Amino acid sequence: MYNINEELKDKILYLNKVLLDKYKDLLSLDKDFIRRFIKKNVGPIKKLEKLTTDELSYYSQGGGILGVDGSNNRVGGAYPHFVEVYQGLAKSTVHRNQPIYKTDFYTPLYSEEEEKDILENSMEIDQSIRSKKLSTIEVEAALEGVRKFNPYAVIMDGSLIRYYIESFDKWMELRKECEEKDIILIGVIKDIKTSIIGELLIKNKALSIKEPLHDRELLYGLLEYGEMVPIQAEVTKKAEEGFSSLFMRTSEAPNVIGMDILDSQSRYLEDMARLVFSLTPKDGRGVPLWIDIVDCEVRIPDKMIRGLLESYLDREILEKFFISERDKRTL
Amino acid sequence: MQVVGITTQQEVYIGSKDRNFRINEFLIIVDPYQGDLIGEVVEAKTYNRYMPLSMHGELADSSVIESLKAIGYNIEEDTIYIGKIRLLNEALYPVETGSNVRVPAFYEVKDLMIKSSPDEGLVLGIIKNTDQMAANMDEKYKDLLYTFEEGELRKQKDIPYIFDIKSMHQYPHIGVFGGSGSGKSFGLRVVLEELMDLNIPTIVLDPHFEMDFSEIGQYMPKEKIDDYKDKFKCLQVGFHVGVRFEDLSHQDIKNLLDASSPLTDAMSNVVDILFKRNDSYNSFYNRLKMLAEAQEEGSLDRIVRRIEESSSDLERQGWQKRKEIYLNYDKTCPYSSVRGIIWRLNRLDNEGIFSKDIKPIEEGLYMGKLIVIQGSTRILQVFSTYLLNNLYHKRRDYKDALYKKTTADYFPPFIVVTDEAHNFAPKGYDSPSKSILKEISQEGRKYGAFLILATQRPTLLDETITAQLNTKFIFRTVRASDIQTIKEETDITEEEARRLPYLRTGDVFISEASMGRTIFARIRAANTTSPHRENPFDELKNKAKEDDNKFLEIIVDKLPINGDDFINVIKEIESETGLTYPIGLFEEKLNDLVEKGLLKKEKTPFFNIYKK
Repeated sequence: MYNINEELKDKILYLNKVLLDKYKDLLSLDKDFIRRFIKKNVGPIKKLEKLTTDELSYYSQGGGILGVDGSNNRVGGAYPHFVEVYQGLAKSTVHRNQPIYKTDFYTPLYSEEEEKDILENSMEIDQSIRSKKLSTIEVEAALEGVRKFNPYAVIMDGSLIRYYIESFDKWMELRKECEEKDIILIGVIKDIKTSIIGELLIKNKALSIKEPLHDRELLYGLLEYGEMVPIQAEVTKKAEEGFSSLFMRTSEAPNVIGMDILDSQSRYLEDMARLVFSLTPKDGRGVPLWIDIVDCEVRIPDKMIRGLLESYLDREILEKFFISERDKRTL
Repeated sequence: MQVVGITTQQEVYIGSKDRNFRINEFLIIVDPYQGDLIGEVVEAKTYNRYMPLSMHGELADSSVIESLKAIGYNIEEDTIYIGKIRLLNEALYPVETGSNVRVPAFYEVKDLMIKSSPDEGLVLGIIKNTDQMAANMDEKYKDLLYTFEEGELRKQKDIPYIFDIKSMHQYPHIGVFGGSGSGKSFGLRVVLEELMDLNIPTIVLDPHFEMDFSEIGQYMPKEKIDDYKDKFKCLQVGFHVGVRFEDLSHQDIKNLLDASSPLTDAMSNVVDILFKRNDSYNSFYNRLKMLAEAQEEGSLDRIVRRIEESSSDLERQGWQKRKEIYLNYDKTCPYSSVRGIIWRLNRLDNEGIFSKDIKPIEEGLYMGKLIVIQGSTRILQVFSTYLLNNLYHKRRDYKDALYKKTTADYFPPFIVVTDEAHNFAPKGYDSPSKSILKEISQEGRKYGAFLILATQRPTLLDETITAQLNTKFIFRTVRASDIQTIKEETDITEEEARRLPYLRTGDVFISEASMGRTIFARIRAANTTSPHRENPFDELKNKAKEDDNKFLEIIVDKLPINGDDFINVIKEIESETGLTYPIGLFEEKLNDLVEKGLLKKEKTPFFNIYKK
């Protein structure tokens, strides 16, 4: 058993109270009210059907589905003494034995771009480089997969807008390639971070709240299993960047996932929603199994990265730069 | 198939993407540095990382798996097979991870599997999971036997298990352990059939009256039938065989009486004093009886008076004799002990033990036959003590004489087999048969006398004897205490011990000192069947049917029978067949037949009419 510090317990109780206070409006919201609001202002709520076997085999004949995901892991301590490795994977449902891996690494100790003063290289830049690296290898893996397998559709793990922001050049290349070859490109967002509905609620003065609520909070438990909401272009900022999006609930779990598609391919939005729906276990977390499989294969476990570094870095370098005090503690 | 993970010199894990492993399967690891290493699969598992065992409900449901399959990805292909292999001989270095693994060919494992030839050893069954290696097996090992699988006779597909009987000279004695219904008795039957085939002199103590080999199994194909009729003999104690009283020594008679019920020191003393070498049953019995009668008189004066008051010479002589015995023995033999001996002696005699001798047994052994000795457990305990002592010492005398270069009659080596061995050599208390079994277990090897002891309670068997059983057949065992004993007494592994409660009937672990490892085998189908094969519930059913038919036969020509006419019909039946039925019972039986649809009952205002 743990010895619990009384003060810590009180702090947690306080947190609970604060959140309850802040969200008491949300928690007391009438479900039907929000649903009506969504239908009127965001988009129609539609019931999804799973794809039939015939439709699925049509996809399979059309080149199968390419799943793309990336993973990163780091060894070391605080900035700048760490090294981070990235791995991207594109895996086709049809060509199961030819996964496409892309890898990269990053450490603030070594910069590929022109030499800058390390001190000047602030943490913020550091963060953006890291995000960029991860996005870039994912897009690169997708690009190679698209060229090599010519799939029917590509499912990226995460919002497409991320690639647009973090790896613009490569992204445009991928986008162009897909549009030319008529390959459908979608992103599945496990954790939606938008507040589209919340902002609309404020704008339309439907609710007397000051800060916009997140979609995640609002939609929790609101949609029924198999329901989706396509978001009308005029209410989402994403439209400007060239995406269409929707929310849907794909499993019995009450949380909702999001999906992006290129606006030029928005005619496939519902088909792709049905595909994602078909691939998601009913009792699961709402994530398509195919994404979970790709995620599982791309993952870089702690043991693996440690083993790699221990095997292929000189011991002196490893100890000097990347072993933190924290790694050595045993208690 | 290849070696994966961390390896040791004794155990490795192997993995395969397309081939499942079977427990007890033999595989060869091709180590690039140490050459071929042979091992046995001791654990087998499969795993699919996309279908983890999840307690929180996230299981890929079948519709999702089907959908994935439809778009080209079959998740089942991600299943991997993992086996744990234990090397038969420890390697010098840990096995190289990544080494290839392959199925061995027959010649590579022959020496590990087969230690004898089908003509010289006991062909007891098959070694399980060896069918792949048996494909290119020598002809002489093929088609030796049949097995029963799920109630059906199957041709031999695996490598046969042949027990090397000659190895008993070095590693004597066999134990057969297993709970009831585990196939133990049936395994014993197969062993005995094989012993008969080899004409090995054998004595079977059979408390269950089940070791009869005259009935050939109906299921056996005609051409395969071995006839054992001339190779065995069933003898019942007190009926066919017994003890020749005149041959008994002091120790023998004490053993016998003790087996009947335990002797006190005083009683044992009485036997020592009163029993004379070459006494017949009658002479010994009379001496005891007279002493007891004299002691009942109470004093010498009274006995003297009885002599004086005798009306005839005969009576006088009798009392004279009693007086003599009284004077000689009264001080040393207390009355109660004398009575105790008389009572025990009487009991043995009533069982007929003293009316016959063991000649038929000896003759049978000389001819290399299997002698089955039947009797109740208690009587077998008594008789076997005498018999085994007798036979063992005959054999021993002969061998000792050979060694001393003197002469003695030839007596063949022999095997003693018994079921329920814990009754004959119990742990914790003394029993007369135990001392001879112990002696044979400890030094029988030198003289060519061997034991095959079967029991469902190895825990209750004398430990010294258990320790001498160099080969053990272990059938299904459920009792934890027995599994514990088995673990202590054999080289069976933890994994194997865990499987013991779940073995199928007829599957057996054979732990053999000469092999140095445990073999997982299946006993072959026996050629003969036990006389107790009929299910008692079938028996009840058949008996009822038989009774009905018999009754129907008796009354069939009396039909139709009128309800007011029972008495006359019963009279007729009595005069014809001698069977009498009370009216109530007769009517009940008729109604019973009506209920079963064999007769019809017609109701009239006055009485019922029974007709066909």
